[in-house]
Amino acid sequence: MRAVSDAPGPATPAGQALAAGGRRDILSRVAERVYWLGRYIERVESTARLVTVTSNLLMDLPLRLPLGWRPLIDITGSGPLFDSLFDEANEHNVCRFLISDTRNPGSIIRSIEGVRENARTVRETMPRVTFEYVNDLHHFARSELAPGTSRRRRREALDGVGSRVHQFEGFLSRNMLHDAHWTFLRLGNQLERADMTTRTIDVGSANLLTGHDLEAFHEAQWRSVLISLYAMQSYHAAVGQPVSRAPVLEFLLRAGHLPRSYARCLAQMRSSVRDLPRNRRPMRNCNSAIVALANADVTGLEGPTLRAFMDDCQKHLGRIHDSVAETWFHFQPKPNPKDGKLAS
Amino acid sequence: MSIDWTRYDATRAWDELVTPDGAARPGADSVMRVLAGLSSEELAERKAAADVAIRAMGITFTVYSEDEGGGPAQIDREWPFDIVPRLVLKHEWDEVARGLKQRVKALNAFIDDIYHDQRAIRDGLVPADHILKSREFRQECIGIDPPHGVWSHVCGTDLVRDEQGRFLVLEDNLRVPSGVSYMLENRAVMKRVFPELFEDYIIHPVDDYPLALAACLRSLAPRQGTAPVVAVLTPGIYNSAYFEHAYLAQTMAAELVEGSDLFVGDDDCVYMQTIAGAQRVDVIYRRIDDLFIDPEAFREDSILGVSGLMRAWRAGNVALANAPGCGVADDKVIYSYVPDMIRYYLAEEPLLANVPTYRCVEKQHRDFVLDNLDTLVVKPANESGGYGLLMGPMATHAECNAFARSIRANPRNYVAQPMISLSTAPTLTETRVEARHLDLRPFILSGRDTYVTTGGLTRVAMKKGSMVVNSSQGGGSKDTWVVEVEPSAGQASSAAGAGGRKEAGSSAGGATS
Repeated sequence: MRAVSDAPGPATPAGQALAAGGRRDILSRVAERVYWLGRYIERVESTARLVTVTSNLLMDLPLRLPLGWRPLIDITGSGPLFDSLFDEANEHNVCRFLISDTRNPGSIIRSIEGVRENARTVRETMPRVTFEYVNDLHHFARSELAPGTSRRRRREALDGVGSRVHQFEGFLSRNMLHDAHWTFLRLGNQLERADMTTRTIDVGSANLLTGHDLEAFHEAQWRSVLISLYAMQSYHAAVGQPVSRAPVLEFLLRAGHLPRSYARCLAQMRSSVRDLPRNRRPMRNCNSAIVALANADVTGLEGPTLRAFMDDCQKHLGRIHDSVAETWFHFQPKPNPKDGKLAS
Repeated sequence: MSIDWTRYDATRAWDELVTPDGAARPGADSVMRVLAGLSSEELAERKAAADVAIRAMGITFTVYSEDEGGGPAQIDREWPFDIVPRLVLKHEWDEVARGLKQRVKALNAFIDDIYHDQRAIRDGLVPADHILKSREFRQECIGIDPPHGVWSHVCGTDLVRDEQGRFLVLEDNLRVPSGVSYMLENRAVMKRVFPELFEDYIIHPVDDYPLALAACLRSLAPRQGTAPVVAVLTPGIYNSAYFEHAYLAQTMAAELVEGSDLFVGDDDCVYMQTIAGAQRVDVIYRRIDDLFIDPEAFREDSILGVSGLMRAWRAGNVALANAPGCGVADDKVIYSYVPDMIRYYLAEEPLLANVPTYRCVEKQHRDFVLDNLDTLVVKPANESGGYGLLMGPMATHAECNAFARSIRANPRNYVAQPMISLSTAPTLTETRVEARHLDLRPFILSGRDTYVTTGGLTRVAMKKGSMVVNSSQGGGSKDTWVVEVEPSAGQASSAAGAGGRKEAGSSAGGATS
């Protein structure tokens, strides 16, 4: 395929395209679907993780601790919908809502359908075998993610979903061309991941109830945030301090080597965006999110200031998403009749 | 219980694997021996393995039906596949392929003539009315010169074998024939399920098709000196052949586009909307009926097409495959003239015969048809997918009467053919193998060069005695093997092919077993 830039470089169009890291001119519609594919994959994995981790956590905690299933609903931002469907945020209802309820657009089953639908519409852009993985994930979810199963079977089913997602992603990462399709897939991954990290911190901190402000409860709370993000072991290895608010926040927001940290996600988004053509606005939005994080007094954030900061992070992510969509997915290009090439 | 070939009945029609007295046809002995060596559990296992592979590979086709509320719904069904392969001998296939190339060449010459000088009409080859009043004739195409004079770049021709084993052409699908991806996938499934069978045979591969198609499409590109941008235009994910559209785009490394991805600029060139801006498209393999490709030229209500596409095509700025208007030759009345076309345009004798066809529009033919409805198959001139047929021998009196009325009211719209007993091949049922009728759809590509698939898509009627092979009506499919056989067997069976004598086939089967 031919390259679209007139920049000096390898003489042939094919050579230019190769040197530039593959095609930079994929269809806008395809770019959008690959981006959403990336978001849905990440959402399936993070929701499955959230449910599994919470189940484990609750088994470790003394009864009647004010930690329960409700935060999961809040983390996923689906409070109003949940409340309209269920009376009580108990284990059965929350699990059903998050795992198998087709009325919840954020449920695992619906996200898997999102993965499959988006993969189906872009199947020609991915290695052929990957569609088998997607199908397998879909068939598995349809047969195994039934409501009302026992904790043990639920655990097995969610692990099965998780490993299938990893298989799919791993195969893509190793075998798919790392061209613009890949860049959009990753961009979707990273944005969804940053979103989940910031929501988890937000909800986790908000649930620190006054009156229960014993050190032990605080620690349990922050521990649960770390565990929810699969970052407990990493925290011990990288930070080496007891679990408490300031170092946990510093770690989850700023650690450059933690895959799910907010800073790391932003940096990766920025590098994805940098690889794409016509990237001025999304680039600006990535930069301002990075600057805002750099300038924040992260360890001093507590209570209302922490919540306000997490709100700000969400807004930055929203702006990045909007500019990505406006720049690459929804625009009306006009050809330039003079050179018959391109214009935007 | 495993397969017992002595109980297999190959006497109802020409059987592709077994002679009437139960011996293996040339080349078929290994398949029969391997199958007979499997226990029923093992057979069931293989069948299940094929189903799993099809499911895992996501080989689906869409059927249209009603949802629970009675509204329209689509179901993605897994592709129905029979694990017993259908065999065609290489030297036989080479003959057929030559006949197909000849046929498509004549058809393209005919279409080009119709949109230019219309010599065929002036010289009385085909009556003017048959063409100018055809639903598929497009006034808009007159005077257009597509590259290489080719209009139908991808043709799917349906072949059957009669009681003597002779290949006959049943129809030519010149517009947007589908099925080739299933031909390719059938082979992939077969390799997974029966790898050991491939050891016994020299089976010619089929997977060069996507490359041949890509080369064919590129040979149509209007711009010289740049690598052409090729796109497959699909109606979208809900089309019954979407799987194939995606499959072909992927294997050709072409763009898979929907109408909304494309637009025609003021310069009458076609562009697609990419993340880098507008990008010119050179060749469009359109998988949309031509009435829907351009709301500006044809159906205004089409949301599948691209406004101005015909303008760009007429200006020579984009190639369309297949060309709009090529359907004028995809009509069962016109079909009956193809042997004459071959003689007229190519000055050659047809290598492949038609099924004898009566044109209801001609009084003599019509009278014969009306008198013999109970023995004939009546077909509408312009339908595909096996819809709207009358199978005389199976029809009720009332159905025959209804068809007689339709024929009298609109004779141009009908042709009739004798009921051909389609050939059969052993097909796995729940409990054993039984003979099932089948046909064969090879694909012929025409651009700068011509190409014929190695074999094609074998479609099989899964119901006992049924001759309806369409997947939309419960048909299944088989992998089609074009095989080399050892010289002795090859000679024997070529005698069978030439003479069409079943005895020759059976003695050859005896010689190789």
